[in-house]
Amino acid sequence: MQDAARPKPKTLNSWIVLAGLLGAATVLGFVMDRHVSLTSQAMVYVLAVVVAAYALSWRESIAAALGAVAAFNFFFVPPRWTFEVDSREHLITLFTMLLVALVISHLVAGLRRETETARLHARRSQQLQELASTLSAAPAAPDTYTLGQTALDQAFTGPCVLALCCPNGELRLPNAQQTTLGDGMHCCMREAAVLGPGTGRWPGLNAWYLPLIASGHRFGAACVEPADAADHAGREHAQALCTLLAQALWRQRLSVSMQAAQTEAQRQQLQSTFLAAISHDFRTPLAAIVGAASALQTQSDKLGQIEQQRLLGSIVGEASYLSTVTENTLQLVRLSNTTQDIKLGWESVEEIVGAVLARIRQRDPTRRIKSRVPEGLPLIQADPVLVAQLIANLLDNALQYSADGIDLVVSLADNGLQISVKDRGPGIPDDKRTAIFEPYSRNDRSGRHGAGLGLAVCRAIAHAHGGTLTLHRRSAGGSSFTLSLPISTQQPQAEVA
Amino acid sequence: MSLRVLVVEDDREIRALIQSSLSVEGFVVQTAVTLREARALLEHAPPDVIVLDLGLPDGDGVELVQQVRKLHATPILVVSARHQEAQKIALLDAGADDYLTKPFSVAELLARMRVALRHRGTALTAAVTVHALDDLRVDLSLHQVQKAGATLHLTPTEFKLLARLVRSAGRVVTHRQLLADVWGPEFTEHTHYLRLYMGQLRAKLESDPAEPRHLLTETGVGYRLAVE
Repeated sequence: MQDAARPKPKTLNSWIVLAGLLGAATVLGFVMDRHVSLTSQAMVYVLAVVVAAYALSWRESIAAALGAVAAFNFFFVPPRWTFEVDSREHLITLFTMLLVALVISHLVAGLRRETETARLHARRSQQLQELASTLSAAPAAPDTYTLGQTALDQAFTGPCVLALCCPNGELRLPNAQQTTLGDGMHCCMREAAVLGPGTGRWPGLNAWYLPLIASGHRFGAACVEPADAADHAGREHAQALCTLLAQALWRQRLSVSMQAAQTEAQRQQLQSTFLAAISHDFRTPLAAIVGAASALQTQSDKLGQIEQQRLLGSIVGEASYLSTVTENTLQLVRLSNTTQDIKLGWESVEEIVGAVLARIRQRDPTRRIKSRVPEGLPLIQADPVLVAQLIANLLDNALQYSADGIDLVVSLADNGLQISVKDRGPGIPDDKRTAIFEPYSRNDRSGRHGAGLGLAVCRAIAHAHGGTLTLHRRSAGGSSFTLSLPISTQQPQAEVA
Repeated sequence: MSLRVLVVEDDREIRALIQSSLSVEGFVVQTAVTLREARALLEHAPPDVIVLDLGLPDGDGVELVQQVRKLHATPILVVSARHQEAQKIALLDAGADDYLTKPFSVAELLARMRVALRHRGTALTAAVTVHALDDLRVDLSLHQVQKAGATLHLTPTEFKLLARLVRSAGRVVTHRQLLADVWGPEFTEHTHYLRLYMGQLRAKLESDPAEPRHLLTETGVGYRLAVE
C-alpha cells in the first residue's frame, strides 16, 4: 500500500518505454507508408502519445508529444530524413499535431492523476478502517505501539517514527541522539498541533510532527516523512492515524483505571466482610471460651465434676469452631486473590472423601453420616486440601443443622463428578437460597453458630476448580448441597507394568 | 532412664503446654526457642525425640533436620500451622519422621510420639518386617499379605508400595518418598500412580475402601499405614 508521493524509481525504464513507443509508431508508419496518406501516419504517432501519457508521468508525456512531432517530421514529412518542411500545408499539419499531442497528453495525465488520487483515498480509508478494528482488539500499549508504527510505515515511505509517553509522562524516544526529532515531538505535544510543511508552524522542517491526543490527554507523538506542503490529503491521513492511536491508548488507560477501581472496591468489600467476621463469628466463641475458662479458674472448687467437664467440653468445641472459621476466612482471602492460581494434580475423590470422614467422625460419634462412593471413579484435577475443606464444611453444616441421618453420595453424571451432602434438617427458606452463599449472611435457623464463611468458601473452591456448588430442596424435607466437578476426558495412565 | 524430648518452639504458651503435658507422661523435656539454641543443645546431648516447630525466627528447620539425620536416627516430629504444606513436606522429605498440624490435641501429640519412638533406631537394628492390625497381616520376609486368614494376591508394584508403608508403619510417608522408593527417583512428580495403585490396594485390603482402616490418606502430604 505505497503512497503515490513516492518518486518513480524506474525513471530510466520509463524513458526506454517512451523510446520504444515512438520507435514502434515509426516502424508502423514505414509499414503503412505505401498504402496510406501522411495524416494516417500522424494518427499513429498521436496514438503513441496517448499511450505514453497514460502510462508515464507528465514530463515524459510532453517529451513524447515533442518527440512524436520531431520523428514524424524527420521520417515522413517531405523532404524526408531532414527536419526541414517544404510546404505550408505540412507545417500546419505538424503544428496541429503538436497541439493535439500536448492537449491529449495533458488531459490523459490529468485523468490518470485523478484515478490515482481516488485509489489512494480508498487505500487510506481502508487502512484507517483496518487499524481501527485491530486497535479495538489490542489489549495493551506495546501492541498499540507496534500497530501504529506498522501503519505509519505502510502509509508513508518514511522514515516514520512513533514515540509513546511513559507512565511518568516522559516521551520514550527510540533514538535519543536525534535532537531535532525529540524537539519536534516535544513541541508538537506541547502545542497540541501538527508542525511542519503546510501547517503554518515550523514550515522549514522536512517532516510533519503530529501529537497523539485524545480527550485532552497527550499519549505521544509521531514524525512522518516525506512531508510536502501541498500534500493536504497525506497530512490529514497522518493526523487521522495519530487520532486513532491516541483514542486506542485512551481507551486502554480508561480500562486499566476501571479495573484498578474494581479491584479496590472488591478489596474494600472483602475488608468489611472480615470486619463482620471478627465482630460476630470470632467474638461469640471467644466469649464462650473466656467465660468457661474463667469459671474453671475461679470457681473450680464449687463446680461439680459434671459441670467442670461440660465447661471443658465447651472450651474445646468453641476453640475448634474458631479454628474452622479462621481456616475458612484465610482460605477465602487466598481464593479472592485472583492472581494466585491453585495447584491442580490428579486426585482420587474416594481418597479425599475417606480422609475427610476419618477426621469428621470425631464429631460424629453416632455415625450419622452414611457415605456411598462407587468403585472405579475417574481421577479428577483438583487441589485435594481445598476439596477436602469444602466437603468438611458441608458435613459440618449438616451435622449442625440436622439431627437425623446425613448422606454423602458420590456419583458420576453426564457433566462430571457429583458429590452431594444431603440432610433432613429444616431446609433453607426460599428467600435465603442465594444469600447463604454470600460471605457472612448466614441462615440463622439454629441460633448459635452459622456456617459463617463456610458456604462462601465452598462456592469459591468449587469455582476455582471449574465446578459448581448448588443447593436443592429435598422432596421429603431437608437440603442437598451438590458439588459438580468436571472430569478430564484424558485420564492419566499408570506405567506399563 | 526416662526418655528425653527436645521441644523447639518459639511460642511461649505452646512450648509450656507441650512441656507440661510431656512431663506428666514421664518425659524429660528440654526446650529451645531458636534453631541456634536447638543446635547447641543437640551437640551437648542428643535427645530421644525432637518436636520441631515450623517458622522459627532463625530459619525453616531443613538444615537442622539434615544435620540431625547425618549423625543420629533421632525421630523428629514437625509441628506446623495449616498452609505451611510446602515447608512441612520439605522437612518430611529431608528426613523428618512425622508431623502434627496446629491446633492439635495432647492425645494426638502423644500418639505421634509413641509411633516415632517405636521406629527409633530402625536405621541400626533390623527393619520392621511384620505388620499386623485387626485382620490384616503383612509379612515382608515371606512376601505374604493375609486378610482374615486368606492370602491376598498383590501385583509386584502393589506389594512394593505396601512394603514401603509397612517399613514406616504409623508414620506418614510423603508422595515424593513413595514414588522415589517404589518407582524410582525420576517418577517423583507422577502422583497419579499413587492414586491409582492406592485405589487398587485399598480395594484388596480394606473392608470399606471409601473409609479405609489401614491405608490412611494424609491429604496433600502422603499416606500412612495405621498401627492402632
